[in-house]
Amino acid sequence: MKSNVSDNDKIKVRLFAVLREVVGEREITITVPSGITVSYLNNVILMKYPQLKSFSNKFVTSVNCKVTTGDTVITSSDEIALLPPVSGG
Amino acid sequence: MIRITINHLSLQEVLRELEDNSAGALSIFMGNVRNRSKFGNVSEIYYEAYSEMAEEKMREIENEAQTKWGIKKLVAIHRIGKLKVGETSIIIGVSSEHRHEAFEACKYIINNVKTRVPIWKKEVTEESQKWTDGILLE
Repeated sequence: MKSNVSDNDKIKVRLFAVLREVVGEREITITVPSGITVSYLNNVILMKYPQLKSFSNKFVTSVNCKVTTGDTVITSSDEIALLPPVSGG
Repeated sequence: MIRITINHLSLQEVLRELEDNSAGALSIFMGNVRNRSKFGNVSEIYYEAYSEMAEEKMREIENEAQTKWGIKKLVAIHRIGKLKVGETSIIIGVSSEHRHEAFEACKYIINNVKTRVPIWKKEVTEESQKWTDGILLE
């Protein structure tokens, strides 16, 4: 029988700007079951960091530098980032 | 040339990079830190970028401008970190055969950098430090 540990992925998530400040970290590590989607990951992040809840509709998630939809499946080798509204220039 | 940098931006370097004897037109846009915002008197702006993705998105915008206007050369450099009032945060430079392409491509690139590239700014005034309202990426 497979252990639960081997079915889990450690996902590293980069945070930027106001999200980085609110959490106090540039990068967080989230342990989730293998084969999860971006939506699932975001829900886990919001539970672990409730201070992000007021920003839940004010960020998008990128996977390997591409903005993704919630049903995108991710793995621990993907580069994930939470991106608040941009204001460069 | 596409770049995100912590260093001061040099117009001379941009002009050198754009040199092309087949280009009859050269258009430059420079964005500078203003001393006023809706939050008050600005003392500095802090810029932050997701640099890898920002450079990738800027190359995508460059390719679109290339396809639309057939420009000769392009430079787009965005500075990040703390910038004081009057300092330059971004330089866009485009060279092309004729002026129409250079003007249009330069305008297209700066408009798209502001809305599609993961860069953020926080305005520091005497009273507060606030991240500027922005546009959610698609």
